[in-house]
Amino acid sequence: MDPADTQAVAAGRTPDPGPRPPAVPVRLERITKRFGSFVAVEDLTLTIPAGQLVTLLGPSGCGKTTTLRMVAGLEHPTAGRVWLGDEDVTPLPASNRSVTMVFQSYALFPHLSVFENIAYGLRIARLRDADIRAQVADVLTLVGLPQVEARYPAQLSGGQQQRVALARALVMKPKVLLFDEPLSNLDAKLRKRVRAEIRELQRRLGITSIYVTHDQAEALALSDVVVVMNQGRVEQVGSPTDLYRRPATRFVADFIGEANLLPGHHEGGMVRVGSYTFAYTQEHAPSGDVAVMARPETIELHTDGDGLSGRIRTAFFMGTVTEYLVETPVGEVIVAEPLMPRGPLRSGEDVRLTFRPSGLYLLPAAT
Amino acid sequence: MRPSTSILWIAAFVLLFILYPLWTVLQASVLVKGALTLDAVRSTLKSPAFFLLNNPGTPRNETLVAAAAGITAAAAGGLFRLSRRPVTIGGVVRWTAGVGVLGWVLAVLYLAFGALRNSVLLAIVVGIAATALGFLFALLAERSRLRTKQLLGPFSILPIITPPFVLGLALIYMFGRSGFVTKEIVAFGPLGAAASGFLATGVFFGPLGVAVAQILAYAPIAYLVLQGVVQAMDAAMEEAAETLGASRWHVLRTVIWPLARPGIANAFLLVAIESLADFGNPIIVGGGVPFLATEVFFAIIGRFNPSEAAVYGVVLLIMTLSIFLVQRYWIGRRFYVTITGKPSAARPRPLPPALDYAASAIFLGWVLLILALYGSVFVGSVTRLWGFDYTLTLQHIRALSPTGWQVFWTSTKLSAYAAVPSMLLGFLIAYLVTRVDFPGRNGLEFGSMLSFAVPGTVMGIGYILAFNQGALLLTGTELILILAFVFRNMPVGIRSGVAAIHQIDRSLEEASTMLRANSPTTLRRIVMPLMVPALLSGLVFAFVRAMTAISQVIFLITPAHNLATTQILSYVEYGSLGRGAALASLLTVFMIAVVLALYAINRRLDTRAAARALMP
Repeated sequence: MDPADTQAVAAGRTPDPGPRPPAVPVRLERITKRFGSFVAVEDLTLTIPAGQLVTLLGPSGCGKTTTLRMVAGLEHPTAGRVWLGDEDVTPLPASNRSVTMVFQSYALFPHLSVFENIAYGLRIARLRDADIRAQVADVLTLVGLPQVEARYPAQLSGGQQQRVALARALVMKPKVLLFDEPLSNLDAKLRKRVRAEIRELQRRLGITSIYVTHDQAEALALSDVVVVMNQGRVEQVGSPTDLYRRPATRFVADFIGEANLLPGHHEGGMVRVGSYTFAYTQEHAPSGDVAVMARPETIELHTDGDGLSGRIRTAFFMGTVTEYLVETPVGEVIVAEPLMPRGPLRSGEDVRLTFRPSGLYLLPAAT
Repeated sequence: MRPSTSILWIAAFVLLFILYPLWTVLQASVLVKGALTLDAVRSTLKSPAFFLLNNPGTPRNETLVAAAAGITAAAAGGLFRLSRRPVTIGGVVRWTAGVGVLGWVLAVLYLAFGALRNSVLLAIVVGIAATALGFLFALLAERSRLRTKQLLGPFSILPIITPPFVLGLALIYMFGRSGFVTKEIVAFGPLGAAASGFLATGVFFGPLGVAVAQILAYAPIAYLVLQGVVQAMDAAMEEAAETLGASRWHVLRTVIWPLARPGIANAFLLVAIESLADFGNPIIVGGGVPFLATEVFFAIIGRFNPSEAAVYGVVLLIMTLSIFLVQRYWIGRRFYVTITGKPSAARPRPLPPALDYAASAIFLGWVLLILALYGSVFVGSVTRLWGFDYTLTLQHIRALSPTGWQVFWTSTKLSAYAAVPSMLLGFLIAYLVTRVDFPGRNGLEFGSMLSFAVPGTVMGIGYILAFNQGALLLTGTELILILAFVFRNMPVGIRSGVAAIHQIDRSLEEASTMLRANSPTTLRRIVMPLMVPALLSGLVFAFVRAMTAISQVIFLITPAHNLATTQILSYVEYGSLGRGAALASLLTVFMIAVVLALYAINRRLDTRAAARALMP
């Protein structure tokens, strides 16, 4: 770094990320990936809009990482095509795709300094030394890590390594930026902070990003769009609030947040759960036997009056809320109640449950 | 037995049977007839058989030529550094001096004469070639897409479980003056005739043959070291490089190679130690050219000069020990550790196809050569007179009776006796150094691993000098052979033991203790059952190593207690190649059978992990 740059950094100059290629959408067209007889991804079609951050969410083995790796070019689909904007990149190797990735293990080169780690791709692109120095300094300031250029990865903390990995991916000005569970090696507190930083940076730079995680809270907090995957297929695509309030399947309802799924019956705006009947409206609601999804925090407990009758089996005081396990004729129901003036209820008490419409959703019974 | 008691016993054993013999060698090199003198050291080191640069028998002055080479190299190095920016005085001086010294050393090694030069040059050449092959094979094992890599398992373990000199013997069979190839290649036109004429000069009967035999025998050692190194590399690192625009070749050069470098240095040094210490190949195919390990033997057996032998031994010991120390304490610390705890799930990236095919072709060539060499020994044991009369006959096998069978039985018996204490002692030491904290723990571990770094010939003269009088009069007995085996192969037990103990989570023992089991009960009910597979392989490999040992025991055998390996050597020396081949075949088949039996019993045995326990 030459002295002028050092001063600029010290003066807190906002680095210019430099001209970036316009953001492009990623389109996966009927992608199938098999490993031997195991089908990792089956007939998947998905569009990631330009400049957005899309999360692939699902349990381990659902095919989310394989999908990400096919976008990177680290795996090649058995069938189907991968498009970056108008370009069909299916046959291209990872090195020719202008797609970079932040790895779960960070994959920093332990034998190279931070500077050389970040400069690695720039050197392959044969940039001039002065340009490399300037870009590395800029990107390090961008991720909030100036003055570590000379250190080696092993001398950095986990959070710092994570940022160097991000800087190394960003400095290439990729068309698409990929994240493979990048926060899973950080402790809970740091994870929240880095999560916010990643989101802020992605918005500012407007890079099309795909983010893989199995942590639903992370996915909800971070994404424009969440893609829920299960067993190689897409279960649902939608905004975080969409998925939480209107899950398309029992799997999604169960995987995102906590959900009670109760057997019920729906007929002309009236829902019956056990012996309790109440009015409820929902667009395109299924009729007949349904699964009633009720979020624990939207169920109210009463000691008398109308509602689904039940008896409290256990009560867990958890600070901001008290969680109850309530036995009802239609099965166990979890209820999360904020601190009430009457104080927490005790186990063994008889209660009535009512449902606030904001946390209700009717699913076809069979799904 | 309480830990403190066993520690004292083990420390006493290590002192008596490893350090004390080495001390007597040191003593013998400076004591002549009870008087302290440097005469023996001086006369040996000045002897042309040890080292000679300016040979009066040659027309040129080697000292001058070497100096000229050094100066030329220095100038070239300095000029090269001057051409690279930024030019600094320190840099130019370092390059001039460094390249100059390197050039001079290489020139000296090339021009000089004597055992020191021969051994060092051999170790360097064999080290480089075996390491290069080993690295190539390691890449194949971990990164090849071709099926040929499946042969790596059996063909890497074969040279390790057979005496290394079998390959030397086989070289004579194939490429010697009356070798199979030498004789038969004439049929392939003028080129074949030229090759035959070349081989008939006996090129493989001398340093070249020793080098080839050692490269074939030790490439598996380098392979086993490097296979672990390549396997431990995080594939995500290579993937990261690829997403940053690197081609597979570029990844190989900028990621895999630098990360493998400490491992490569490690493999090179291990092979160099083995090469320096090897006794069998130089004596069988060396053609009388002096090497350090064989000079120790000839000084004592041929020239009856224990002081001279001791000086050679001390020189050899200093060299192998310093390599051992460098390998253990310097290279050992330079390995790049994986940074984050969680290994990535990424699968290994394949090699560039061109490299994959080229390396596989080299490997196949190696396999064919190994097959041909072992095959020639097998066939040689059932042909009348190799090179002249290829009629099949059982005469050599019949001629093994009675001597051959008898020594084979002695070998088996003594190796079996020795295997049990080697393994038990090894496991006990492994347990103590990994799980018990006591003063001098590092010292005990170092002392017990030391015998891997001590050339067998040095330990051999140590034993005859140390145990030939008074209460310790053991020479000429079976006991001294057993003791030699036990303490030489104890590290095999230690390695197997440490590996096994690391697999057993400490909390298992703690759980057992909390359930009110005492220490012996925990050891017996929890630790031992989990370690049985390792114990078994430790036992088998201690046995295999004892059966195939030669360098140390050659000093300790007597006509009454001769061993298979030394008997093969004397058959070869007295020209009974057929009988030598028959006994060598018997030994090889037996070793293969023993190892296969181990696999049959212990199916989960990891070939490579097990083979690593056998290595120096």
